[in-house]
Amino acid sequence: MKYLKKCPLLVLLLSTGLLFSIIAICGRTGIYAGQEYDPLKAPVLSVMFTAMNDDIYPWQMLQSESIEAGNQTVEIGGEVPQEEPEKPDKPLPSPEVTPTPLPSPSPTPEAEQIPFERPEPLRESTYDEYINHISADIYGDVGILHAADYEFIQVDESYFDDALFIGDSRTVGLRDYTDLSGHADFYCETSLTIYKVMEENFKGQGTIPDALASKDYGKIYLMVGINELGRGTTEDFMAKYTEVIDTLHELEPEAKIMIQGIMRVSGKKNESDAIFNNSNINARNHAIATLADNETIFYIDVNEVVCDEEGNLNAEYTFDQIHLLGKYNDLWKQFLLSHGTEEREITDDGQ
Amino acid sequence: MVSFSGLEFLFRFLPIFLVVYFVTPLRYRECVLLVGSIVFYAVGEPLFIPVLIIAAILNYLLDRKEWELGEGFSIHEWQKEARKKYLIGAVVLDVIILVVFKLLGTFVDNALLPLGISFYIFKMISFQVDVYRREILVQPKFRYVMLYFVMFPQVVSGPIMRYNEGEFDLERTCGPEQFEDGLKYFVLGLGMKVLLADRLAILWNDLQMIGFQSISTPLAWMGAAGYSMQLYFDFWGYSLMSSGLMVMLGYNFIENFNHPYASKSIGEFYRRWHMTLGSWFRDYVYIPLGGSRCDKKKLVFNLALVWLLTGIWHGNGINYIIWGSILGILIILEKLFYGKYLSKIPVLGRLYVLLVIPLTWVVFAITDPGQLGIYFGRLFPFLGGAGIAVNQQDFIRYAQNYGIFFLAGIVLCIPTVFRFFEKHKKNPLMLVFLLVIFWCSIYFASSSAGNPFMYLNF
Repeated sequence: MKYLKKCPLLVLLLSTGLLFSIIAICGRTGIYAGQEYDPLKAPVLSVMFTAMNDDIYPWQMLQSESIEAGNQTVEIGGEVPQEEPEKPDKPLPSPEVTPTPLPSPSPTPEAEQIPFERPEPLRESTYDEYINHISADIYGDVGILHAADYEFIQVDESYFDDALFIGDSRTVGLRDYTDLSGHADFYCETSLTIYKVMEENFKGQGTIPDALASKDYGKIYLMVGINELGRGTTEDFMAKYTEVIDTLHELEPEAKIMIQGIMRVSGKKNESDAIFNNSNINARNHAIATLADNETIFYIDVNEVVCDEEGNLNAEYTFDQIHLLGKYNDLWKQFLLSHGTEEREITDDGQ
Repeated sequence: MVSFSGLEFLFRFLPIFLVVYFVTPLRYRECVLLVGSIVFYAVGEPLFIPVLIIAAILNYLLDRKEWELGEGFSIHEWQKEARKKYLIGAVVLDVIILVVFKLLGTFVDNALLPLGISFYIFKMISFQVDVYRREILVQPKFRYVMLYFVMFPQVVSGPIMRYNEGEFDLERTCGPEQFEDGLKYFVLGLGMKVLLADRLAILWNDLQMIGFQSISTPLAWMGAAGYSMQLYFDFWGYSLMSSGLMVMLGYNFIENFNHPYASKSIGEFYRRWHMTLGSWFRDYVYIPLGGSRCDKKKLVFNLALVWLLTGIWHGNGINYIIWGSILGILIILEKLFYGKYLSKIPVLGRLYVLLVIPLTWVVFAITDPGQLGIYFGRLFPFLGGAGIAVNQQDFIRYAQNYGIFFLAGIVLCIPTVFRFFEKHKKNPLMLVFLLVIFWCSIYFASSSAGNPFMYLNF
């Protein structure tokens, strides 16, 4: 009592600190199970705050059971997105490298019903990779090679009139420092992740599903993935990414979905950062590239034009080792202009 | 761990240290603080801790010689001479240590600059001079001297307290009320650092990320203002945390900032900004050179030297020398010509400060002279600074994102606001306010890797 009178702030801080610690400890096995913390460096209550970043709030503990159940369904949904959309796809030269046990017959243009088989991972991420935040390269270059089979064409800016760009801060740069925003719609926000793409309410624009419902897009460009490094395994990321791509396709079946490989970081960053480095980025790019069927889903990699010969983001093009300087976004724009796909009608006519 | 706003410091080092400190009987607390400070420094700078310890011990030994020579009723001429020699020896030694490490840091590797060396060497010099000038009345005990040099609230980035301000010989009263007072300053400083400075730091980082050639002129000005506030709240926040800790431990509050942005001239600004550094240069460089009690030529030389040294002290880029020189020139011009007009028309003086100081901070911020030129080209496009791929609307988005921080920053720059806080610090609403500030800061510290103080590695 004496202390409450003489040092009320200290008492308040200690009691709220105690309360938060209890909340955090209670949630360790429940809602905070996914939050990492190092007891040597941070107090246990820090998990309460890190969880808030993932939209997990203490009061959810009261309904934690339902949330856990909800999470599980999401996970299951994310892990089994392998079924192809119902819509009959055009045949495509199925890659010989596809390490799937299923029969993959040689391409026959007439066989309308044979869907593209997404390659299976070659292995699983190991526990070591998981705890050390290493994104395992579980797919190899199968997807990249297959995606490279497609011959892109040069287009002009009007090609983007029915394009939608979705992305994180890098795409913000593309929007703000090129004239593409005069043609395409941009739904991008700093620190956007694949986990939030479909739910995010973009400032003054609404959500992606809203956008797709209100306008018919011919192309959807997506580049996210840098913020997710260090979070989950390649499998987790891939499961969510697949789910998002499939949802986009379902919502806008006519649109070409352009998966953009995650832009790499500079050599300096690559060497000094255990998480945000190019081997992690490449592993994840290898994974998402496997989604490309070269028919409605394509994979393009801007790293081709912004990296040096060692495969790192060119040091001259960046200040912070991660983002392109404003003026160099033009390289990205030029790359996109040279990576147009033919309109579907033309393809149909051609065949 | 050396960052006061980091979780390691706030939730590991500080609580353990405070418990040990306060359960220890009063007369042993200095030893606890000394050991705790050495641990604190060793964790942050394991490699160069011997530099600090050896420099501190050498300074103590030289001081003792000097002190012994000055004892007694009648002091002979030879004693005076010898004392002077010891003083010069000590100061030269300190300056050599600082210069050697600064040169290593500049020309070899920045990692060779020991943590806080610019601050603790300045303390050592001030200590030697104060002993020589007989401003220290009781012979300093070894543990007090060591404590003065290494005490953890100050060792990393100041304030450059004077030995006398530590009042080491006095009985320390550290009751709960004083602890609470210190805690309030600490939490307020933490909030300034984490909730204002670190947020505004992202704006400046964004401008660099975009590239100065691609920012619009309004954004360039917003950047200059944002950086000015970021620097202020970073360092004022740090100083409040440092002094808050000192008060919690039973020492005096050391004032380092006195609402500089409310000044009416550049000279006044630097009497109110980083005050302990300004008064150090005044007492140990400017006044020994003759101060302002000399002819105009000498005055100009003295001011120029002080500001050149100030520039060099702040960092190892050419831009710091340019920065110090610009300030020196402005202050000389104020002293000789237009200073009297500024003080006569306060509005003019204030506008002058608010316009010129942010521009000088831009010079301070940008280490590359070429980039500096580009930035000034964007600030004053009519001087021929055409941009590349400029987005003319960029400032609108930044104004939306950072408006709230600018607003809070501007409010805190008004002296009355801070006085209101000090007056009502016992009000329950103020307590709730501080509680919210503390936990919001912890939220940011938990969820983002906080960027360390800008005034860390000198």
